Amino acid sequence: METEEILNLKNEAFAQITTAQTKEELENIRVAYLGKNGKITNLIKKIKNITPEKRNKYGRTINSTKQNIENLLFERKQQIIEELEKKEEWFDLTIPGIKPQIGSKHPLLETLKEVENIFRYLGYQVAEGPEIETDYYNFEALNIPQDHPARDMQMTFYLNLKDEKGNPKILRTQTSAMQVRVMEQIRPPFRVLVPGRNFRYEQVDASHGFEFWQVEGFVVDKDISLTDLFGTIDFVLRELFGENIKLRFATTNFPFVEPGVDTYMSCTICNQKGCPFCKNTGWSEIMPAGIIHPNVLRRGKIDPEKWGGFAFAIGLSRIVNLKYRISDLRTLNTPDIRILSQFK
Amino acid sequence: MLAPINWLKQYVEISLPTEELMWRLTEIGLTCEKLQKINGEDVLDIETTPNRPDWMSVLGIAREIAAIENKKIKPPKTEEINYPKKDILPIKLNVDFNLFERWTAITIANIKIGPSPKWIQDTLKSVNLRPINNVVDITNFVMYELGLPMHAFDYDEIKGKEMTVLLSKGGEEFTSVDEISYKLPKNAMVIKDKERIIDLAGIKGGFNSGIKNSTKNILLHITINNPSIIRRTSISLGLRSDASAIYERGPDKGGTIEALKRAVNLIIKYAQGKPASKIIDIKKTDFRPQKKEVNLDYLKQVLGIEIPKKRILSILESLDLSPSIKGSKITCKIPTRRSDIKDKEDLAEEVARIYGYNKFPKTLPRGELKKEKIPYLKDHSVQNTLRNILVACGFFESMNYSLISEENLKKCLLENKNWARIENPVSKDFEFLRPSIIPSLILATKLNQTKKKIKLFEIDKVFPSEKYKLSGICKGITFRKFKGIIETILETLEIKDYKIIKEVKEKVWHTRRSARIVTNKTELGVFGEINPKVKENFGIEGEIWAFELDIENLKSLKSSKLFKDISTYPPHIEDITFILPEKTEIGKVINSIEKTSGLIEKTKLISKFKNAWTFRIVYQSQSKTLDDKEIEKLRNKIIKNIERIYLGRVK
Repeated sequence: METEEILNLKNEAFAQITTAQTKEELENIRVAYLGKNGKITNLIKKIKNITPEKRNKYGRTINSTKQNIENLLFERKQQIIEELEKKEEWFDLTIPGIKPQIGSKHPLLETLKEVENIFRYLGYQVAEGPEIETDYYNFEALNIPQDHPARDMQMTFYLNLKDEKGNPKILRTQTSAMQVRVMEQIRPPFRVLVPGRNFRYEQVDASHGFEFWQVEGFVVDKDISLTDLFGTIDFVLRELFGENIKLRFATTNFPFVEPGVDTYMSCTICNQKGCPFCKNTGWSEIMPAGIIHPNVLRRGKIDPEKWGGFAFAIGLSRIVNLKYRISDLRTLNTPDIRILSQFK
Repeated sequence: MLAPINWLKQYVEISLPTEELMWRLTEIGLTCEKLQKINGEDVLDIETTPNRPDWMSVLGIAREIAAIENKKIKPPKTEEINYPKKDILPIKLNVDFNLFERWTAITIANIKIGPSPKWIQDTLKSVNLRPINNVVDITNFVMYELGLPMHAFDYDEIKGKEMTVLLSKGGEEFTSVDEISYKLPKNAMVIKDKERIIDLAGIKGGFNSGIKNSTKNILLHITINNPSIIRRTSISLGLRSDASAIYERGPDKGGTIEALKRAVNLIIKYAQGKPASKIIDIKKTDFRPQKKEVNLDYLKQVLGIEIPKKRILSILESLDLSPSIKGSKITCKIPTRRSDIKDKEDLAEEVARIYGYNKFPKTLPRGELKKEKIPYLKDHSVQNTLRNILVACGFFESMNYSLISEENLKKCLLENKNWARIENPVSKDFEFLRPSIIPSLILATKLNQTKKKIKLFEIDKVFPSEKYKLSGICKGITFRKFKGIIETILETLEIKDYKIIKEVKEKVWHTRRSARIVTNKTELGVFGEINPKVKENFGIEGEIWAFELDIENLKSLKSSKLFKDISTYPPHIEDITFILPEKTEIGKVINSIEKTSGLIEKTKLISKFKNAWTFRIVYQSQSKTLDDKEIEKLRNKIIKNIERIYLGRVK
């Protein structure tokens, strides 16, 4: 084996390395010379066959050659990496991506989750109850006896099902139906939230539907006051819609509260310029409420001399409309993918 | 309730600009969102709440404005009536106090029927009432002014000069003063003379005894009626009048004499009549102002602020509630027109609303929280997990109505097993509570039919059980991709060991391409293709896959996820191709491969060509590296099983 031969091998490797363009080519070159069966490796294996006099010199030559090749490989690799990064090339970043096909959750239930979380933060527990109700829980227990004119505002669907007394069951017209159901079973103090669907006999149009959602809330405790109610409504609506909304309260009458409160929020659909949704008033009626009437507490087996409470109902469908600026209530119940896919 | 501003101004000075007045009225409870222009007048359009009959009158609204503006109210003055010494036109009234709590009447002789004066006509026109003649216009005017409905009869048409209030038997013919005929329901309140029904009490007068141009003598009366009966009758006849709306709310029982006097004054002035009897006033009890008390401490507690004593008293005074104070106790004298004030909380509202709801500070309740769980606790954790999976799988969540038509249920070939039906539906389209979500999703598929790919899901109650179901529908994907979604759902909930049983009763499903998912004891639901007949019924084309799963049962079988250590020993992976007979259930083949040994980590179908099925099998141990011999043993066991059970062979 001649030193010349080693030199040739070295030149050969150098030539290949300097012309190599990719990391893969370099790796192939490394294997070809320095790998298990590489050309240089094989020469190293042969060292033991060489006479001791020559072995020293030969060994040094071959080791330095190996070192040189390794160094050059390393340098060339650095160059290639450098070039990969610096190379002039055209790359269009505006070309549209291909999106993964994800679906979407319904905005009403997403908004409901948001509402529930706000109330959980305020210490409420969330309940749910039957939609097929008795007249007792929906009306009687709430201080609305038969023939009360307040029933006009909640025209009722009657079912072909009967309660234990043989009276027709109804579809609940308000989530307030849950007030006495819950009160009967627990002792104060408590803070309860009851979201759910209600049904009323109404012709369907942009702002009315025979199915709509409410979130009922009621609190019973010692020393509950009207200011607590105003504060709760204010806190919740600002959490939902931001600090910029305007709120105002008005007196109203529901037989199961006294004093009664109605809440008007600045219409977010038209920014108070007037639109069909707010009946051109700039205000949307959004959260009726009040101090729970002592008769209702009594029905719930709670002593009104010791305890007091407030109750409210958020028009959830209306909240969703205001939040997403949907001017027609029917939109939320239309399973058109062009609508649903906007809520991704 | 319509309230012309100029009419209001006759009783109270108004200094607020109209827009501000409208908001202040709304704030204190008279929702006033619209200002109308009627017959050239600015008219407030007010929504009144059912607890306030007094708001059904212009004077009543003027009283509220007086409280807002802190001004004095000027009610109309009545003049004394010159009664005859002896009744010239006598009348006998037979009362039943269950029907009428009060009956106040007078007869007037020698009336001259003619048009009413222009100011009365104009006033009536501004509340959308059509002037008729002086007597009728005056009764309408006074009703609007004072909130007490009254009626004038032609005295000479009252047979036997006797009137009796009683309940109808049902089926009687009655023609109202505006010449419309009704068949009366049972238990309507009517007034009869000696021979016939002459009045549908509290709702409409009769044609037979109505005021005609030739009328000479009249009987004018005000009755305080049983509101429940009025309400039932007017609903069942579909006949709601201004009077019935007032009666349902319960008008001022103490105000009948003043109102009657007011009308008599006007009739004498504008119809030239002469009183022909004394005022007859039959009443169940004396209707006098009631005393109600409220404590300052209670007010402070329930309102959350301490309104100065002086302010509280001035508010109550401005509402004409005559407050007096002793220590911390305020006693009010509640006029009969304010029958809505029954207790201390009603007085609290009076103080709060006039003080101004929007002047209150805002606080949050400070009491302690409940540690125990409440009844009816809502737990939608499984629903939320499912929603997350399905959205990640590309599904859109819909919320269809719970109400659906019988036609659509029948088009789905569903059989009526105690469906919940509405007795008084808005329309046939929304008559039934859906017993399944699938029909709504089929309709949704139809709605979206121009889309090549549809993936929709919904989680909601079905009726009458009110149990939650998860339903989904897919179009434009292969069966295996569809099935993969169901497998993902079950895998996420850690539900294993379920069986697929091809016996589905409901015909909405394709007989051969649908199955139930069942565990030992529990039915989880159904999945498969929609019956071609159903698709035809709806005019939908293409393969449509759907599923409906029971949330409660999914919840009961759900188990918690436990972490399994990753094996530190390398797996051995190999593909085996089996030739299998036709109609082999591949799911079961994979199951038996996996069950061959605990060392078979995973089996996956990777390709199929004709009847050759290739499975990728992963062998792995948690405790050592498997050697070739062990692998061979396992492989042989797999092959033997497949040969024995499924009559397959290795290719």
